Amino acid sequence: MHHYALTVIGRDRPGIIAQVTEILYKLGCNIADSSCTLLGGQYAMIMIVAHPTIASKEEMAAHFAPLEQVKLTAFVRKIDEEAFRCVGIGGEICMISVYGADRPGIVYRVTKELAERQVNISDLNSKLVGSEERPVYVMMLETILPDSISEEEIKQVMQHLATEMKVDISVRSITPVEL
Amino acid sequence: MAVRDILIYPDQRLKTVCAPVAEGDTTVVALIDDLVETMVASGHSVGVAAAQIGDLRRVAVVDVSNSKLGRDNHHGLLTMVNPLVIAHEGQRTMREGCMSVPDYTGNVLRAEEVVVEYRDRDGSERVIRASGFEAVAIQHELDHLDGLLFLDRISSLKTDLFRRKG
Repeated sequence: MHHYALTVIGRDRPGIIAQVTEILYKLGCNIADSSCTLLGGQYAMIMIVAHPTIASKEEMAAHFAPLEQVKLTAFVRKIDEEAFRCVGIGGEICMISVYGADRPGIVYRVTKELAERQVNISDLNSKLVGSEERPVYVMMLETILPDSISEEEIKQVMQHLATEMKVDISVRSITPVEL
Repeated sequence: MAVRDILIYPDQRLKTVCAPVAEGDTTVVALIDDLVETMVASGHSVGVAAAQIGDLRRVAVVDVSNSKLGRDNHHGLLTMVNPLVIAHEGQRTMREGCMSVPDYTGNVLRAEEVVVEYRDRDGSERVIRASGFEAVAIQHELDHLDGLLFLDRISSLKTDLFRRKG
């Protein structure tokens, strides 16, 4: 199997997913993991797809080029087989909520602190809310802590940052319960 | 008494509404013992429903007393025959996983507190009030008796505290 990351983006309207997956279906592609969401009026699709014979990125991309005619932009990236298998990071899962008056650098400062401590960010969502005069930035991060750092330490680090940046930050463990 | 294999979805027995245990059915004791042994043998598990080992009767066992989340608030080992939630209150979301659905977890909204009536291993009628993690575990296991998996109850896609309205 040849694996690709396929991203498609365009102004939101009904039918985008059907148009994209019709091409995938007719090509004989498998869709593995995917994440598709609406961001600021744009619909963004990210999919990991597999095909048994198509081995070149260019050939794959050509099949999605016609999407331009329906105002969707597609991008294809080949994933080497080794990288495809390198999934699964273990560790305590922490949810970090960051919110406050919008200002430059919130995302950078938070993620820099995390990166320096080898904390993995498995999901990040952010949204600009509030009024035009008083915009509020809200960001949720799902993080995976390495063994070298505890939830308590991350809480302290984030507390310092919250004070410095005048935003509110909370950290809580959301490690799944196996039932 | 035996440790039994846990069925994995798409085994359709996991999607079956289980049948009540008949009054005076003494074979249920052996089933309960198997469930307890299977739960203990799986280490991390805090509950097993009969459907998960392929027995389609309304029986489940729960024991959160050894888990970090449940050790301060629990009823010890619960062996429940024909259990029924007769009252519930409050709500909470937990990220749940299930031995029958490996490699996937999801946020599930459950009642914070439940009152459950059931017949115990010895045949006596019981009513308990459970809260917190124990209540979540009970609701998860009781769902198995109705052919429901946590996948049927996912209340949010990952971090969606600020999903769009409408």
